[in-house]
Amino acid sequence: MSRASGENGILSSPGEQRVVKGEHFGVQVVAVAQRRRRGPRRRNISGLQGRSGLLLVAPYVALLLVVGVIPAGYAIYQSFLARTGSGFGGISGYKDAVTEFQFASSFAHIGLVLIVWLPFMIIGVIGLSLLLHGRRSRLVGGLRFIYYLPGALAGMGNFVLWLFILDPTDSPVKFLLSWLGYSSLEQVAEPAHLPVIIALMLFFQGAGTWILVIYGGLNGIPQDVSEAAIIDGCTPWQETRRIKLPLIRPWIAYFILINIAYASQLFLEPEVLGLATEGAVSPQWTPNQLSYTFAFQLFDVPAAAALSVILLLISLFIGVIITTRTGLFRNVE
Amino acid sequence: MDTVSKSNPLLLWVDVPRVPAVKAFEKAYPNIPVSYSTLNGSASNTGLEEKFVLFNRVGSGWPDAIFWPGNSAMAWATSPQINYAANLTNIISKKVQAGYNPVVAAQCMLNGGLYCLRNDDAPDVLWYNATLMKEWGYTVPKTWPQYEALGIEIGKQHPGYYVGELGDTYAVERYLWGSGCPTNDLTGPNKVYINLNAPTCTRAENMIDALQTAKVLAPAGIFDSAGAIAGAKLVMSPGAAWWGVYLFEQTFKVPKGEITATDPLQWPGSPAGTGDEGGGLWSMSSHISGQRQADTALFLQFMATAPAWQVDLSTGLPAYGPDQNAWITKNIVQSGYFADPSQIGPAMKYAGTIVRPNHGYLLYDEGALWTQVITPVVAEGKLISTAWSAYQSALVDNAKVNGYSVTT
Repeated sequence: MSRASGENGILSSPGEQRVVKGEHFGVQVVAVAQRRRRGPRRRNISGLQGRSGLLLVAPYVALLLVVGVIPAGYAIYQSFLARTGSGFGGISGYKDAVTEFQFASSFAHIGLVLIVWLPFMIIGVIGLSLLLHGRRSRLVGGLRFIYYLPGALAGMGNFVLWLFILDPTDSPVKFLLSWLGYSSLEQVAEPAHLPVIIALMLFFQGAGTWILVIYGGLNGIPQDVSEAAIIDGCTPWQETRRIKLPLIRPWIAYFILINIAYASQLFLEPEVLGLATEGAVSPQWTPNQLSYTFAFQLFDVPAAAALSVILLLISLFIGVIITTRTGLFRNVE
Repeated sequence: MDTVSKSNPLLLWVDVPRVPAVKAFEKAYPNIPVSYSTLNGSASNTGLEEKFVLFNRVGSGWPDAIFWPGNSAMAWATSPQINYAANLTNIISKKVQAGYNPVVAAQCMLNGGLYCLRNDDAPDVLWYNATLMKEWGYTVPKTWPQYEALGIEIGKQHPGYYVGELGDTYAVERYLWGSGCPTNDLTGPNKVYINLNAPTCTRAENMIDALQTAKVLAPAGIFDSAGAIAGAKLVMSPGAAWWGVYLFEQTFKVPKGEITATDPLQWPGSPAGTGDEGGGLWSMSSHISGQRQADTALFLQFMATAPAWQVDLSTGLPAYGPDQNAWITKNIVQSGYFADPSQIGPAMKYAGTIVRPNHGYLLYDEGALWTQVITPVVAEGKLISTAWSAYQSALVDNAKVNGYSVTT
């Protein structure tokens, strides 16, 4: 939901009086919340704080340079070299990458994973966070811990666990797999199923951590705002839709941004599935795998670098769209 | 780096089945310290080449000797970019070199040099369950059309039994190489001929289609867990010499006294021939010299020829000719596992002499493409012919990407 459409929806008056009131109320609440956030920040900014802010951010900037900016610059440089490794090659690296016969399919695979996974992830994570936030009991601590568990398993261990779950001969849910008609890992992990399988892997890998992040965002909503809303006759659904969701929008935007970035760099999951199925998954299933093949099997480093640059541009483009449309990093005015 | 010591031992990379070989070497040569790592045994070598690219970049880290899990690795291991495998012509003794039948050593000969020693000879023979064949009153087939007809009959009479498996990287070698189908014909330097529409290919395609329709070809592969279950239900199957001990006895766990092998199936009207499934290769590093090179050569020679490994422990027919009879006596005749053991040794030795020529190892693995393109389709229950043109395209596209000029 974008900021603009939300405001338009509020200004146009829908039919029912109660809803209009609720929406009107929503605007007020947002305004209140924004004032609260803005207040202290304005008051405290001083020269000293500005300098200590720089100091605090310096280690991050240094790391960003070493593991982000410099490698990206190096990739851009490499992508314009000739395939032999020296001399200017113009756009031949990009041409090699784009004309490779698996280029389009590797991006299509990522698109498919995103189509399956992102809605599942967004609805699942936000839904579970809201449910968790709605409960005020001792259960919450336990539930939070349970949600976090799958994410706490190290990435590789989690995938190996998945290999057992997916293999009909070893799986703890083999009854489910055989009910679906599968008798071998090759049948389960056939290419058409991969987007769903990878979406499931990613969901259970990441959902728990993100539930905690979103839950943290929900906890940041001042108690008095919710109380005021309830006193004014706000239903739980209206509270969610008009108060909670708009207020945690930056968290949601960040969550979507990071997950799209992750999906566009998929490598580990299809690679491990390929190994486990004795090669039923192409080693060039995603652009990152294709880039790896260019670098290490075809010795076409410029093409590998070009593919990385293309991925970087796509991620940057999506990032810019999300940050500008949602006000992720915008200072509230 | 040219000396070998406790702190700087011989660095060996082997797959899991070869670990006992290393142990045997340590026992035989306690004064040569070794350190070994196990490799992913997948014949498609996924991820292996990358390690060598990185070693080349930093200029160190190469293993002194390696067992290649898949034979196509020889193509890149000897390429100018990787340049790992040493030319053994002047490193390994002439006596050892003379022990290999030229057909068997052909896979290690590149541009006139010897770049590897073959661990085992892996020609395809026809394996069958003698007990079931006898009980059901079937005649053992001699030709592929007879195999097809009997397969269809078994499908009708004894549903649930199989005559082959389709899902592993070696299925392409059993069925297509065995038929002389040009999947990998190197016709010149960097020139390949790939034509799945050749009659030698389509006859295999049609046969597989018919056997799939009869539900007697398992979609699984011999190395996966579903394949092991289907393997115990094989009435017969073309398969390499190592299938007997490694698959039927140790993996499929077929009871003793049932399995035997005979001469490979033939296509009427074609010269005698058969396919070949791996038969591992040993190579050594081109980056070593002096004492290290000599010790590594000793290791390679031990692996390829020493009866302590080849006869006593190896599950495959030794590629080194002088060891073959002893291996057959110990592992086939005296083991007590096989039915009609006296016919197995001669069948293997004969098959080793008729492996079809013109099958080059290329910079990509045709078996890996088989498992990507064919295996998922047959796993879905579709006929192999529905994936035939996709497999042709995959072979051609990969050949082109790897810099070959392709004729079709």
